Amino acid sequence: MSFEPTIVGFLCNWCSYTGADLAGTSRIHYAPNVRVIRVMCTARIDPTFVLKALHDGADGVLICGCHPGDCHYSEGNYKMMRRYPLLKKMLADYGIDEARVRLEWVSASEGQRFADIVDDMTQRVRELGPSPIKEGLARDMAER
Amino acid sequence: MADKLQIAIYWGAACGGCDVAVLDTNEFILDVGAVADIRLWPIAADGKYKDVEAMEDDELDLSIYNGAVRNSENEHIARLLRQKSKLLIAFGACAYMGGIPGLANLTTRDKIFDTAYVDNASIEPGNHKIPRPETEIDGKVLDIPAFYRRVYRLDHVVDVDYYIPGCPPQPDQVKAALLAVVKGELPAKGSVVGAYEHALCEDCPRTRNEKKITRFYRPWEIIADPDTCLLEQGVLCAGVATRSGCGARCPTSGIPCRGCYGPAPGVVDQGAKLASAVASIVDSKDPEEIQTILEGLPDFTSFAYRYGVASSLLQRSHRP
Amino acid sequence: MTDECKIGVYVCNCGTNIAKVVDCDAVAEFALDQPGVTVAKSYKYMCSNPGQEMIIEDIKAEGLDRVVVAACSPRMHEPTFRKALQTAGINPYFLEMANIREQCSWVHDDPGEATGKARALTMAAVRRVAYHEPLEKRSVDMNSNVLVIGGGVVGMTAALELAGGGSRVYLVEREDHLGGNVARVDLTAPFLDSARDVVTSLVTRVTENPRIEVLLESEVTSFEGFVGNFETKVVTKGNGAVSSEFQVGNVVVATGYQQFDASRVTHYGYGKLPNVITSFELEQMLRAGCIETKEGRPPHYVAIIHCVGSRSREFHPYCSRVCCMTALKYAHEVRSAVPGCYVSDIYIDMHAFGKGHEDFYRGASEAKTLFLMYGKNDHPVIRKAGPKDDCEMLIEVNEKLSGEVIEIPADLVILMVGMEAQADSEATARLVNISRDKDGWFIESHPKLDPVATTTDGVYIAGACAAPKDIPDSVAQARAAAGRILARSIHGTIEVDAVFAEIDEEKCSGCRICNDLCPYSAIDFDEEKKRSTVISAVCKACGACVAACPSGAITARHFTDRQINAQIEGVLA
Repeated sequence: MSFEPTIVGFLCNWCSYTGADLAGTSRIHYAPNVRVIRVMCTARIDPTFVLKALHDGADGVLICGCHPGDCHYSEGNYKMMRRYPLLKKMLADYGIDEARVRLEWVSASEGQRFADIVDDMTQRVRELGPSPIKEGLARDMAER
Repeated sequence: MADKLQIAIYWGAACGGCDVAVLDTNEFILDVGAVADIRLWPIAADGKYKDVEAMEDDELDLSIYNGAVRNSENEHIARLLRQKSKLLIAFGACAYMGGIPGLANLTTRDKIFDTAYVDNASIEPGNHKIPRPETEIDGKVLDIPAFYRRVYRLDHVVDVDYYIPGCPPQPDQVKAALLAVVKGELPAKGSVVGAYEHALCEDCPRTRNEKKITRFYRPWEIIADPDTCLLEQGVLCAGVATRSGCGARCPTSGIPCRGCYGPAPGVVDQGAKLASAVASIVDSKDPEEIQTILEGLPDFTSFAYRYGVASSLLQRSHRP
Repeated sequence: MTDECKIGVYVCNCGTNIAKVVDCDAVAEFALDQPGVTVAKSYKYMCSNPGQEMIIEDIKAEGLDRVVVAACSPRMHEPTFRKALQTAGINPYFLEMANIREQCSWVHDDPGEATGKARALTMAAVRRVAYHEPLEKRSVDMNSNVLVIGGGVVGMTAALELAGGGSRVYLVEREDHLGGNVARVDLTAPFLDSARDVVTSLVTRVTENPRIEVLLESEVTSFEGFVGNFETKVVTKGNGAVSSEFQVGNVVVATGYQQFDASRVTHYGYGKLPNVITSFELEQMLRAGCIETKEGRPPHYVAIIHCVGSRSREFHPYCSRVCCMTALKYAHEVRSAVPGCYVSDIYIDMHAFGKGHEDFYRGASEAKTLFLMYGKNDHPVIRKAGPKDDCEMLIEVNEKLSGEVIEIPADLVILMVGMEAQADSEATARLVNISRDKDGWFIESHPKLDPVATTTDGVYIAGACAAPKDIPDSVAQARAAAGRILARSIHGTIEVDAVFAEIDEEKCSGCRICNDLCPYSAIDFDEEKKRSTVISAVCKACGACVAACPSGAITARHFTDRQINAQIEGVLA
């Protein structure tokens, strides 16, 4: 059986989660590999969540928020916009492949876009293979 | 012998600073000497490994282990001391979090050996020797401790009762912690002792105002106002994300906090929290401008995890 | 933690919507195996009455303390199931939903994969719900007093409406008279009503109203608190500055606009050529009843130029909305005051969008106004006429409709200067904690659905200060803001959402990282205690401060770290 990645998705309630719901009401099909966790705003997303997801075995993490300027809470997505480059840099220094963590802006009307992003990311992570983190840390504890 | 406390103080992958911190308690150490037998303390006393091996289990009332676990000897003695001790304290940032040695987890053992033993200006090309754990001489096998692939914390290899943070822990905190042990006034197992329950800003004498950053400066790039928060002036200071207890010595003296007391209570990943806090206050809504401002933080990862790579969620580089 | 719970898990089939792809029975079976799950059922339509009854009965019979419903999107039925829990006697926040329809059965075709995903999402919900806390909506007092900043037509209209509804109103005006920009106008377009009458009527009613306290030559110097509970200081100049303090529940910002400075458009020669004047300068002449050139003669040729400072890459990109109709008004008024005068109207587009506007336009052209259209990135050129010309100035226009360069004479040129945000709009915005857009206009809560509220609860904006607009629209907004405030003040208290952020005083180190992150200014800093606190009534629970707090001292109710971490663990289990 070939490898199917598990991707944890953090979606903001007002834009991207609604956009994902729209993909559903429009019956747009996409890969089943993303498991969505709803937050009110991408501003709520602590980089720690991303690291925890990777630590706990996620092969990838997808973050979706409102387009800049459209945030329901006025500026929440700008906070994510500021944290994200620093998080990416840290992930790169920890040797995590760039394609495993991704930030996209998806509006409430962009059901198709959400589906396309999920399909694209799933394919890229599939090509990368399973994330080495969970197994690697387990092996560290078993052998020196 | 049974009346006096039986203590061991040991160093793993360490710099010696934690032992000096214990000595820095000055006369107090003499008081300790009066009520305790220090059965093992390589830097200051005569006790040998075989003395420890000969002890009964739990014969030691307290073992204080500083330094990280980098090689098999570090681990071996950690396990030995755990077996022979009622209480085992992880002393200092290295034992608690992996410490500075933990930064090695961002590279690999092979790369480290390469720099130390092969691709090095002081080594004749072609004439390098990479150490091995075992060698045979005259039919006899000689071994040295095995250098592990990565750095581990003390609690990765043994059960730890208490943690005293700091690089090094401040002498008055050491005193307080040791007194607590002596008096038997200990908090729940697994607690951090010798430190406070909030972040450094609480104790920092600088005033704190609006936090909006349009540019980061290296500490030497500006003459920072001594009375105002360093982070507000654009100088990266880890104090916001660091547990207090050290007396805020660094920012009081004009240099930014580097995070050696570890994360605030309840925080799982110190570096991630520092990243979140620092990035959030960047004063821009333009992606390019944000990028430019953040470029003023060279090597942020090593700063944020200066003492804590081994205790971060990812613990080490996972480069294939 | 989960072990100590008694969770009921309900997997909705949604007819065949979910059940066609997801094996709902298998998901329910899987759920029943999880620690803490007491009951797990699969049912046709959970949102139906029998479906809800089932939950309510199970809660009572089995002593369930938490409920997971794996069904459609929570955006659909979360309120429905919360109500069911409330009916059954447990706190409505002990519910968690797993979205296995919109984000599962409707978008995946492989039953195995869809069922696997449904299991993971249900597991996450089960783990999360174990950490839910009982939350209560709270009430805060709503002071019925209102502060109105700006004593123009908008401010006065709002004040009268509010006073009529029983509110006590503090109307603060910077100048020594009420009336604002409309007081500088003679007649209004398109019906040529007297602006003076409008203003006089409002001023009289306002000053006679016992519930309205007018503070002239005054400015608001501080504005603190939160909706229903604001404290404000107003300083009145005059004989020594007098400071007054008021407590209000809401504020209407009606600070209007300022006119664009025509001298910035150097190619029109305003300030150099004596007979190039602004629209407001013409109004002064109209009110005085005498239109004449600087030399004291009635003009033979009058030219009106539109879009001065507006629709321009160099100055302001936006349209100032009122100038086109005002220009037509001038065409009419000039011809009435100076019979025989030739009027040219030099414009880019004729914005005749409102009631009566097109008729007014037609009237102006039937009265033989000469209309000359120029291009948006072009502009007419004014130069002094020669000694042989019978006029003061000549205007050259690259006329678009004819495609020719046309030169027209002018004794008097009227520049239709646009509206711009007041010079102190940034200070005003900071004062009441609202934002401005890139052109300096105050930002509304939603441009279509909520045009008079702002992101700061209790602060309303009305009139031109929010964007250029004419008197009808401004008055509509004034009344809208007043209506909103009166509606909210009806009960004397308002309900505040149960979901907000809280700062643990013990953990807060006073680092102030969070202070400036809140778009609602819901975070205060206690200078004495050196701690930050969240004003829960104002907090909208976006979570920005929660994620940024490096001490982990801030908790987002109903979106705590523990809850989200439990979901992460659940989807990856």
